Amino acid sequence: MMGLLSILRKLRQSPEKELRLLLLGLDNAGKTTILKIMASEDVTHVTPTAGFNIKSVVSDGFKLNVWDIGGQRKIRPYWKNYFENTDVLIYVVDSSDKKRLEETGIELFELLGDNKLEDVPLLVYANKQDLPSSLTSAEISEALGLHSIKDRVWQIQACTAINGEGIKEGMEWACKSIKKK
Amino acid sequence: MYNIWWFFTSYLRSVLKWFLRRTTGLCELQRICYGEVSGAPRISAVEKSLNLSKSPQIKKLIAYLNDVSDNLRLKGSTEREILKGAVSTVLLVKRINPRIHFQFVKNFSKCVEQIWGYRQLLAEVESLRNIKFDSNNLEHEAKLLQLWEALMPSVELDNRISKQWQDIGFQGDDPKTDFRGMGLLGLENLLFFATEYRMPAQHVLSHSHHPVYGYCFAIVGINLTSMALHLLRSGDAKTYFYNTSKCLPSIRLFHQFYSYLFYEFDRYWLECKPVDIMQFSNIKLKFENNIRTSLMDTNAVFKINVSVDTV
Repeated sequence: MMGLLSILRKLRQSPEKELRLLLLGLDNAGKTTILKIMASEDVTHVTPTAGFNIKSVVSDGFKLNVWDIGGQRKIRPYWKNYFENTDVLIYVVDSSDKKRLEETGIELFELLGDNKLEDVPLLVYANKQDLPSSLTSAEISEALGLHSIKDRVWQIQACTAINGEGIKEGMEWACKSIKKK
Repeated sequence: MYNIWWFFTSYLRSVLKWFLRRTTGLCELQRICYGEVSGAPRISAVEKSLNLSKSPQIKKLIAYLNDVSDNLRLKGSTEREILKGAVSTVLLVKRINPRIHFQFVKNFSKCVEQIWGYRQLLAEVESLRNIKFDSNNLEHEAKLLQLWEALMPSVELDNRISKQWQDIGFQGDDPKTDFRGMGLLGLENLLFFATEYRMPAQHVLSHSHHPVYGYCFAIVGINLTSMALHLLRSGDAKTYFYNTSKCLPSIRLFHQFYSYLFYEFDRYWLECKPVDIMQFSNIKLKFENNIRTSLMDTNAVFKINVSVDTV
């Protein structure tokens, strides 16, 4: 009986709004790990994403449909197929991968230039802060030139996806930026 | 509700067992070892019966065997000792005369070996997965180069860091970041498939280069390591191991299971005629469900059929 009641209660409280979050970034940036942290799943068995993963998470009165698209070069041409109706773009950077900082910047600004992503709030996760060789979020922001972004709201958040540090803070910003819209 | 149902079934089970013991003169384990066909049907039935046992001695035996296999101690002469001990415990508890029931002793001992061999294999596979691929480790590096040679025997690798790795389906110019949570297990799986099933692996690799239905061989392979491990951990893979293994299951048998999955996945992928690689997660899910269904048939036998268009 209790089970049924709580199910009914949950149904009544069903979130009013569904949102589409798009996770992008180079391969090995940590997109799938972030997705799993959001869904409170184990992150020790992650594999490289061939294609994409999707998970639905309820947070802050929203039902978040999070799309995690593979980041390897061969898959990047498919990214644009997932742009439509995106509410927040989450871009993940491996802060320890200095060699590919330029590459990740180019990919990011190409995304921002796309019509379908016009006005979409941007959250950048400066991931892997636990590694000693990692750049800080301020350094990443500087290197990518985030301050030149004037056409949308954006935020950079330092995080360590494997232990979940910083993920929640980023998501809070994302939910806030949607409410403002 | 569930508790009442559970009470009745377990009560009924005891009554039925008592009745059968009285009429046949055999305990449940004996009836299984004589009545069920060897392989998965018999081993699974013995496993179920042991796990349901209420006898404190049997429960103690199970806890002991679990501990031994979790710590990888079921090996060599120790294994023989342990099996002997397990069998004599059961003979004693069930009051079975081993001189009359020598066939039971033999069959039951085989079952114990497989049940706890499987458990030990899971522990072994997990420990291999826990070793991160380390490019400072010469052994790891040697294995990676071996993989290249096995898959691309006629092409030399220009450099350890090279775009060529993408030809065998890694993501970038250095495979070291692609093993991720599968660790050394992912590499060992690929290497086994490429070296022990040379022709089938070449066949699959050539499919992965198909202009329309192509995919990333190594990345898909690492995702299949995750699937194989998943099936092993959930116990679904027991049918495969119980029906294939003749002695204590080793890591080789896990690699064989993996190779079977890879070969079959490739076939299924082509059958599905996917429009692009973005179909991967859907097709993988369907494939995994198909495998799970075929593993539910305890009589199923799994073999790579290499009769295909190798010409």
